[in-house]
Amino acid sequence: MKRSDRITGVVILAAVALVVVFWIVMHRTPGTLAVVQVDGKVVATVDLTSREVQTLRITGVLGPLVIVADGKGSIRVAEATCPDQICVHTIPARSPGDQVICVPNHMVITVEGKGTGIDALAH
Amino acid sequence: MRKAIAPIVALIVAGAGLATFFALRTSPEPVMSTYFLMDTVLTVKTTGGDAATINEHLHALASDVDSMTSYYKAESETARVNAAAGKGPVSVSPEYAALVKAAVAVEAIDHGSTFDIAISPLSSLWGFTTEDFRVPAAKEISDTLAYSHSDQLVISGTTVQLRDHRARIDLGGIAKGYSLDVMEEYLHTIKLQPRQVIVDFGGNLLLYSGGRKHDWKIGIRDPRGQGIIGYVRSGDAFVATSGDYERYFERNGKRYCHIIDPSTGYPGTLNQSATVITDIQPMHGAIGDALGKVFFCSPAETQRSLFQTVESQGIVGIVLVDAAGTQSTLGPITFVPTAAQ
Repeated sequence: MKRSDRITGVVILAAVALVVVFWIVMHRTPGTLAVVQVDGKVVATVDLTSREVQTLRITGVLGPLVIVADGKGSIRVAEATCPDQICVHTIPARSPGDQVICVPNHMVITVEGKGTGIDALAH
Repeated sequence: MRKAIAPIVALIVAGAGLATFFALRTSPEPVMSTYFLMDTVLTVKTTGGDAATINEHLHALASDVDSMTSYYKAESETARVNAAAGKGPVSVSPEYAALVKAAVAVEAIDHGSTFDIAISPLSSLWGFTTEDFRVPAAKEISDTLAYSHSDQLVISGTTVQLRDHRARIDLGGIAKGYSLDVMEEYLHTIKLQPRQVIVDFGGNLLLYSGGRKHDWKIGIRDPRGQGIIGYVRSGDAFVATSGDYERYFERNGKRYCHIIDPSTGYPGTLNQSATVITDIQPMHGAIGDALGKVFFCSPAETQRSLFQTVESQGIVGIVLVDAAGTQSTLGPITFVPTAAQ
């Protein structure tokens, strides 16, 4: 085998590897992540695959909120300074698309990640 | 032979570049925006087109509907009608008159026994308008029910009148669906069409793919647990869900949801959720929203006959979860339960 043929082979292999890496990056499946927004702006992200209990203290439009990820894949609002307490009573979010919402605080927790494969959630 | 490498490398680089270009071009990132109005959340997810501008415009349209219909805003048309209750007719915009007429038409399906825009004094009695929740006495409920029916409503052309001075209307049960109608109408007029727009307005969905005829997979929220109970497939549609699981209060272990059954004056207890899917036609967002309450407040025996009444009006299908948690569907839709996947 000629030296030039070997170089050609290496270049082609490198190019193929590059395309494969690119493909994986484009199509990677995101981990299960909870995104916390206030007034449409992301204020925190929480890794729900973590085995540790995580406590977040954020500030909503009305006042402080305490958000707890239980280390078992669920996230909920533990305390909030809203009159209706709807967010505190909401079933903890766990699956992709699940949300916990506090309207008075303009706060939304959304679980992201692929898994259900649905386009939209009727609720 | 060494010289032959250069064109090969050039070819590969060009190929990779083109592949990247097309990969990025064919899958533009969706732009997601969140807004707060009508005491709920509006989430818009637009892919392609001038997404950010589209989202802003959709929000502006929803704000306009809110300003027109709000029960709480003193300058809204609803507030003007309510303020004049027992006094005389109020001149309203043609859009407002059309919306009230659409609501009354849905009520007429079963004589206002499951949906009634004039039930609002009872919502107030239960504390849902002030969030100062309480369980009223039976006498208070029957007394209030006497004037909380759409027979209090006189609509003539573009004037609306409430006979009793204590009567009130609230379009909260139809305004979000109507907002989706207004949004859909606008989306059709955009020159640079987006690939997809998903609007979630407090649980009411608009699924828009224009001429692309996307086959949507719509998850149905589990009314008692986490995640979904299953999914249905549909083309572009409005999807309205009425449920007892997002807005409610509890007293002595009993759940009282925000949807008042107009036939009893008590919160509906027959179902956990009703999801109504309607096709894209004028006012079908509003009608689907109202029909959600109709099916939510109906027993299983009448749901089937009610469905036959409305079937011809663009209803794609209905997914129901009754009080015992039993799932069922009406219409030519295939519901795939989560357990069966």
